[in-house]
Amino acid sequence: MVVSLLDSRESKKVPAGRRGCLYEKGLKGLDRAQENFPLDSKRSFTYTGVMKKTTREDRLHSRVRVIAGFFRQNGRMPSFSEIGEMCGLRSKNAVYKLVKQLEGLGVLKRDKKGRLIPKSLAYSLRMLGAVEAGFPSPAEEELADTLSLDRLLIKNPDATFLLKVSGDSMSGAGILPGDMVVVDKGQQPKNGDIVIAEVDGQWTMKYLRKRGEKVLLISANPRYQPIKPKTELKIAGVVTAVVRKY
Amino acid sequence: MEAQPLTIRSWPRAILHLDADAFFASCEQAIHPELKGKPVITGKERGIVAAASYEAKALGVTRGTRLSEAKRACPEAVILPSDYETYSLFSVRMFDILRRFSPDVEEYSIDEAFVDLTGLRRSFHGPYGMIARQMQETIEQELGITVSVGVSLSKVLAKIASKHNKPHGFTLIPGREIHRYLRELPLGKVWGIGPNTTEFMRKFGIKTALAFARKEEDFITKHLSKPYQEIWHELNGRSIYPVVPESKSSYQSISKAKTFTPASNDAVFVFAQLSKNLEAACIKARRYKLAATRLIVFLRTQDFSDRGVELRLSRPTAYPAELFGALKQGFHELFDPEALYRQTGVVLAGLVPSSVIQYTLFEDTARIEKMARIYDAVDFLSERFGKYAVHHGSSLPTKLQARHEGERGDTPQRGSELFKGENRRQRLGLPMLHIKV
Repeated sequence: MVVSLLDSRESKKVPAGRRGCLYEKGLKGLDRAQENFPLDSKRSFTYTGVMKKTTREDRLHSRVRVIAGFFRQNGRMPSFSEIGEMCGLRSKNAVYKLVKQLEGLGVLKRDKKGRLIPKSLAYSLRMLGAVEAGFPSPAEEELADTLSLDRLLIKNPDATFLLKVSGDSMSGAGILPGDMVVVDKGQQPKNGDIVIAEVDGQWTMKYLRKRGEKVLLISANPRYQPIKPKTELKIAGVVTAVVRKY
Repeated sequence: MEAQPLTIRSWPRAILHLDADAFFASCEQAIHPELKGKPVITGKERGIVAAASYEAKALGVTRGTRLSEAKRACPEAVILPSDYETYSLFSVRMFDILRRFSPDVEEYSIDEAFVDLTGLRRSFHGPYGMIARQMQETIEQELGITVSVGVSLSKVLAKIASKHNKPHGFTLIPGREIHRYLRELPLGKVWGIGPNTTEFMRKFGIKTALAFARKEEDFITKHLSKPYQEIWHELNGRSIYPVVPESKSSYQSISKAKTFTPASNDAVFVFAQLSKNLEAACIKARRYKLAATRLIVFLRTQDFSDRGVELRLSRPTAYPAELFGALKQGFHELFDPEALYRQTGVVLAGLVPSSVIQYTLFEDTARIEKMARIYDAVDFLSERFGKYAVHHGSSLPTKLQARHEGERGDTPQRGSELFKGENRRQRLGLPMLHIKV
C-alpha cells in the first residue's frame, strides 16, 4: 500500500541537497543536548575503560543466552557454523575461541570428537551468575531435570484455556470464587474428572460421574444437588489445575 | 473434451490449504460459548465490521460496513471490540497443531495456512483425505473454531478447494477431478488473477478457469507474463509454488501505522502519533536485529488521501533518537494545518543486519555505543515490564486523546478482566474462557 502511495505521489521528494545529511542533522540535535548537559561528555570520557569492559561481558552473556536459546528450542547444541551465524562471528577460529572461553567458564564442554555438550547452559538463566563467578556449583547437575511450573500445570499447551471461577459449587475440591482454573480441551473426560460442561443450556463446573450409560454431574458443595442431564450434555474441557495467587 | 481430465495422475503432490471460518468472530464464539449459533460482529473499537460470524453474514452483514448499518440489518447481533491478543494466541495454536502433522507449514496469514502433505500417507497409514480430516478435527476440538480445508495438487488448486464449500468445508480435488471444479469457476475467482487479466482473457473468449487451463502453452506464453504462466501450470495440476515453511524471520521493510478517531489537525498530536509509529517500528527492527537505511513517512487525511516522503539515511540505524531529526523534517514537509488527519505511519526500508553496520570515518563511535547501550536498556525494560514501559517524550501527547473516543473506545474483555499478578501490558499467554461457573 505504502509503496504504491509513494509511487503515485511524492515519491522521494527530498531535495537532493538534503539527502545524506539527515543523520548529521540528528547529530546536531545531540550536540545541542550536550550543551545543556556539559557533564555528559566528560563522563563518557572518564568511564571509557569501564564501559568497554562491561560491553565485552554483556556480549558474552548475550552469546551464552543465544546458544542456550538454540539448545532449548532444538534440543541439541548448535554446530560451530551455527554459532558463528547466531553470534555474528565470521570465522570458525573466532567461534573456536568463544567455545574455549565458555568451556573454561563451565558453560559447556566438548566431547572426544569435539562436539559440544551443554553444561550449566542447559538449565536456567541463573547460571549467568556462575559464569561471572567462574565456577559451576555442584548442585547444578541435580537441577538439570527440573520441571517448570508451566509444564507442571499445562500438559497440552495448544488446547489449554484459562477460566476465572465465579461460583462456589466446587469449594469442597478447593476451587473458590476468583480462582483461575486450567482447562484442557483436548483431553478425553474420564470418570471422576472435574469438567466444564453445558447441561441443558446451563454452564457448570462439576465432577463427572459415569456409571455405565448413566452420567451424573456432582458438585463439591453440599448446598448443590447432583445434576442429571435431561436432554443434552456438552463437555467443553477437563480442569487439570487450579491456580491461586495471594 | 469437456469431460476429459486435465491430468490423470492423482497425487503427484498433495498441498493442503486451510482457512479459518470468520476467524475473529469464531475465536469470540470459542471463548464465549453462549454466543455459538448467534450473530457476532467484532470491530466495535473501529466502528466498522472487522469480522462477522456466519450467522451474521447470513443476515447480510459484510466486512467493512459501518456498525450502524450492521445494527440496522441485524439488530440482535452481539458487537464486540477486537481482542487481537486472543486471536493471535488462537492463530499460533492453529499453526502448532498443523505442525504436529507436517513440518512443512506455511503461515500465509493470521488465519490461513498451506501445508505440504506429500509423502505423509506412509506414516499416517491412510490416504491424504484422512490426514486432512484429522487435522481439521483436531483444530476444531482443541480450539473450538471451525476451519475449511482443501487438498489438491498445487497451492492454487488447494485454495480453490478450500473456498469451494465454506464454512466447515472439506474438499478433496485429486488430479482426475480437477476439471469438474474448474468448469463452473469464473476465471476472476482464481488466486492471483485480477480484474484486468480476467477482462483481457475475456477478449479471447476465456471465461472460466477450465477454459483457461485448457489453453495450449503457446497461447499462454505468448500473451501472458510469468506469474500467469505459473498459475496456468498450477491449474493443470503441476505444482510450481512451493510451501515455504519458515515463519517470518527476515523483512524487506517494516511498517507501522495507526488510525485514530476523531481525526486531528493538532500538529503536536499528529507528530506524537508518528513518533509512536517510529518507536514501534524501531522496536520491531531491533527485535530482528535489523537497521534501516531509508525512512518513509506518510500521513492520511480524513478524506483518505495519502501524502508521503522518503528520506535517505547516511548510516543504517534502528534507534529513534537518531531518526527524530529526519522524522521531524519529513513531517513538516507533509503536514498541512488546514487538513484533518486520521492516520499516520512510518516505514523502515532498505533493512540490513545491524551486525554489519559500517561507521563513517568521522563518527563518534563512543556516542553510538552509548546509544546502543541506552536502547539495550530500553528493550530490557520492555521485556520485563511490557512494551513502551520506557518511551520517548515526543510520543507522550498520544495520550491526550484515547485512540478511539466515545463508546467505541472500549477495551476487549481480556484487557479488563485481569488475574492477580497480570497487568494492563502483560498477561498470561493463554486464552481465557468466559464462562460463568
